[in-house]
Amino acid sequence: MSDTHCPSCGSCGFPMESEDDFAGGNREAAYCSTCADSNGHLKPFDTVVALNADYFVRHQGIDLSAAVELARTLLQTMPAWAGNQSTLQ
Amino acid sequence: MVGIRDEQRAATRQQILRAGLELVRQSGFGKTTTGEIAKLVGKAHGTIFVHFATRDALVIEIVKAIGSSLTDHLARMSSDSFGLDQFLDAHLAVLREAEELHSALLQEMSRLPASARAYVMAMQSGVSARLGRALQIDIDKGLARPFDKVALANIWIALTNHYLLNRDLFAPGESVIVRHGAALKSQLLAIVEKETAHV
Repeated sequence: MSDTHCPSCGSCGFPMESEDDFAGGNREAAYCSTCADSNGHLKPFDTVVALNADYFVRHQGIDLSAAVELARTLLQTMPAWAGNQSTLQ
Repeated sequence: MVGIRDEQRAATRQQILRAGLELVRQSGFGKTTTGEIAKLVGKAHGTIFVHFATRDALVIEIVKAIGSSLTDHLARMSSDSFGLDQFLDAHLAVLREAEELHSALLQEMSRLPASARAYVMAMQSGVSARLGRALQIDIDKGLARPFDKVALANIWIALTNHYLLNRDLFAPGESVIVRHGAALKSQLLAIVEKETAHV
């Protein structure tokens, strides 16, 4: 496997390639346009969990409550969210 | 500013991760020990835990590396202008490159930390999103008939996962993607193939 990677979102791990992928269209942004606002600031944890869960639902048809649990589990392993507890069900 | 010590630290961490990936590729997650990883990088066993708090933490980073390599390669190899034929070729090529790792991940997922499954599903969602775009391109060009994008992506993921999971049965001693990839691709394309008009 190659060691060279395109930048990935520090919140969800999504690979950021095109300008639209980066928060605010800024290629220096640490987060993607889903997880952060146009100024590059992370959205609240529960909001990011919900947005990532929606991605699972839309692209694989996963049950919403299972998708929320998957998204929460995934995000909690990311440095940006270590220790965060979602209140979403 | 990144100091030399930080650079060395990052380099050692990368070495450990690469060694972990290599050993998982050879023997799977269950049979890969932190002791073997330390031996492969020529470091003391305790050094592993300076960089990864627990074996599970290292396992998660190995899973992340497999996932990010797939999504990253796919982002580079495929394009938003690709139709299904080109997208499936790109996905098969990416799977071929790390076939043993993907197979190990699927086979051992139930015994790995819960977040490993979340990474696999995230990886699959990325594949599904790209496959859906490729299908829409073919529909717009009149090359494919309208079909539920999520259903088609799930069929593709199920097909490839089934062959990766059982690669020892479908292609003993060789690459299951090389041996069966083209047939799997044809089967998927046939599902959305437009019916030709009968005269």
